[in-house]
Amino acid sequence: MNLGLTDRVALVTGGRTGIGAAIAGGLAAEGCHVAIVDRTIDEEARATARLIETHGRRCHLMETDVRDFAAAETRVRETVATLGRLDILVCNAGITADAPIWKLSEAQWDTVIDVNLKGYFNYNRAAAAVFKDQRHGKIVNVASINGLRGKHAQTNYSASKGGIIALSKALAREVGKFGVNVNVIAPGMVLTTMAEQLPPEFLEQAMDETVLGRLASPEDCANAVAFLCSDRARHITGEILRVDGGQYI
Amino acid sequence: MVASTSSGRRVGVVGVGHTPFGRRSDATVQELAFEAFRDAVTDAGITRDVIDATVVGSVPEYHKQRSLAGVIQEYLGLAPRPTWLTEAACASGSAAIRTAWLAIKAGIHDIVAVIGCQKMTELDTAEILALMGRVGEVQWESGFGTTFPGYYAMFARRHMHEFGTTRQQLVEVAVKNHHYGSLNPMALFRKEITEEKAAASEAVADPFRVYDCCANADGAACVILASEERAREIAAVPVWLAGMGCASASMSVLRRPHLTGLPSAERAAAEAYAMAGVTAQDIRVADVHDCFTIAEIMAYEDLGFCPRGEGGRFIEERRSYVGGTVPVNVDGGLKAKGHPIGATGVSMTYDIVKQLRGEAGERQVPDADVGLTHNVGGIGQYCFVQVLTRE
Amino acid sequence: MFKWFGLVNYAPHTKVAEFATHLKDGRLVGSRCAACGAHTFPPRADCDACMSPDFTLVEVSGRGVVHTYTTISAAPSGFEQLAPYRLGLVDLEDGGRALACFGDTLADADVAIGMPVQVVPRLAEEREAITVYYTLERPGTPWPRTPLDG
Repeated sequence: MNLGLTDRVALVTGGRTGIGAAIAGGLAAEGCHVAIVDRTIDEEARATARLIETHGRRCHLMETDVRDFAAAETRVRETVATLGRLDILVCNAGITADAPIWKLSEAQWDTVIDVNLKGYFNYNRAAAAVFKDQRHGKIVNVASINGLRGKHAQTNYSASKGGIIALSKALAREVGKFGVNVNVIAPGMVLTTMAEQLPPEFLEQAMDETVLGRLASPEDCANAVAFLCSDRARHITGEILRVDGGQYI
Repeated sequence: MVASTSSGRRVGVVGVGHTPFGRRSDATVQELAFEAFRDAVTDAGITRDVIDATVVGSVPEYHKQRSLAGVIQEYLGLAPRPTWLTEAACASGSAAIRTAWLAIKAGIHDIVAVIGCQKMTELDTAEILALMGRVGEVQWESGFGTTFPGYYAMFARRHMHEFGTTRQQLVEVAVKNHHYGSLNPMALFRKEITEEKAAASEAVADPFRVYDCCANADGAACVILASEERAREIAAVPVWLAGMGCASASMSVLRRPHLTGLPSAERAAAEAYAMAGVTAQDIRVADVHDCFTIAEIMAYEDLGFCPRGEGGRFIEERRSYVGGTVPVNVDGGLKAKGHPIGATGVSMTYDIVKQLRGEAGERQVPDADVGLTHNVGGIGQYCFVQVLTRE
Repeated sequence: MFKWFGLVNYAPHTKVAEFATHLKDGRLVGSRCAACGAHTFPPRADCDACMSPDFTLVEVSGRGVVHTYTTISAAPSGFEQLAPYRLGLVDLEDGGRALACFGDTLADADVAIGMPVQVVPRLAEEREAITVYYTLERPGTPWPRTPLDG
């Protein structure tokens, strides 16, 4: 399937590493120039940029905390100024801070909600304004199956990911008439460097939950995102696409 | 156009009746119709059984009662004679008169009762507001918030731009008509107004304020028409429908050739004058359709009372007052009488008949032997002009 | 769908319903008779010149001149929140006339007969249901257009 993404421009938050980097690289492989927003622009971020450039595509790195509302608008404008246009937004920047609720501190709640949910609001809002006026755009918000189900020790994380799902649906309703699609991917456990640090029993439990008997690679997420960002998915909006190997059916 | 040999029977008005116009919370529309009908039959000195048919002029969407002609016919005790409704917006009354005239001229009927009637107050405010927005062409215009005063206001703006007509001149039309309305016991508004009061009234659609606009009202009027032979038997002083003109124009202002006059009125007037064998200069008294002040000014021009563009000067120089070139709306016009839309055309005819018979009391125009009514439907998509003469 | 057209719509069904779809894409269209070539704005399905029912829709520029105008203070149903609003009737450069409200670029301007304006397609942003209409704006005002392959 030709996704028709040649010369489109995407902005990916949390695109430095892991799922975000795979998404950025996957879009570049399909022809997109990619801007990346991340809290830290380091050697890992630059490695991701080089990967994008090996596809013959441009990459613009921006060091920003996604919690900053005003910066989101600035960075979107900067993307358009630097890469010429904006067609795609993928929000992926997210953190966890797990604890059963009676041990969850106020700061742990606030930070997870701010980064994961407010951060997505900031960038969705800034990009929607651009997409509305140009009468086209694609937004993919990376959520989690833990936003569809409750997860032990993740009242904060589950709340943020559930919130992302509802935000995406409401936004889909608002911008549909302007030719803008808003969708969600909901990964289960994904094998990133961060995930590999987890205790083995966590990974085993996750694998047991899947029906495919395997855990996702970051590329599995990237493929789903690329499809949803393409014109082949023009009639899909307000959808939640689980990329979880059947971990939560 | 009517065939040039409009030969055959003349049609006369042998009886006229009229209810007070106003908020008639005391009566149904058929009860109002009966009031006017009874007056007309009495005035004619006939009994009901000589009537051959009834034509009702009314605009159905304002009433709860559907099928108005049927209900009125029943209440008036005139079934099983033929009856039907005619509708041409605010010219429904004249449309009814024309239909009756056609039937009599064709020799189908001898005596026809024409009843123009309307209750505007049966609808609540929301229903009226909804109807208000559908006055014009609904596909391309109503979706942008046009209203009846809005259309005429746009005509006024253009007239002011092309001819220098002033707000002051518009106000003077209102002042004149309220003056004559104060002398008409049938009118809704019985008080004179001052220019200051008119100029200070609430904005409706620029440049119109409340006093530039006619008011809705309830009311009915009735005329009994008869063939020439029967008219001479019945009436001491028959008044003849000597010239009957009728024309249409585009509903949509997007397709009018110009907005400073009503093409339908010009055409209907030419036809009526030709049929009656008169010119504008022969008209001694006229009732014109002053739904808005500019409408009367445009009527002076469309009817040929003055050249195009000089209507403002015509009122300013008091040439439409009694004693002027041609007294216009000495029954108060729509402005002071109120405008029960189906009744207005018949009300105008009632007034001109009274004038021609010399029965207009303190509003009498001396030596009125040729009169005119000018009744417009909506924003000019219909116009009916009648020239009436007395032998 | 023609029911999208107008701040209030009283004519949801028409043979020229595609007008509203084009307007949503940012294009103002008139009709062109397939038999005799007559151009009409607003579009009509039945040719006024030759009565043919065959027509195509053709984009028009929307440039024009104010023929007359008014300010509505006493508003009809559906327009109460907008009152007072200014309506203009425009003679279009490409033929025909349009009637619409003056828009934001002229909000603080005096309106005069003879003034040039641009009829600009609009898609109501804050209503959930799709509403398309047009406003009268300063000449040269840009507006969003859906790419033709979009």
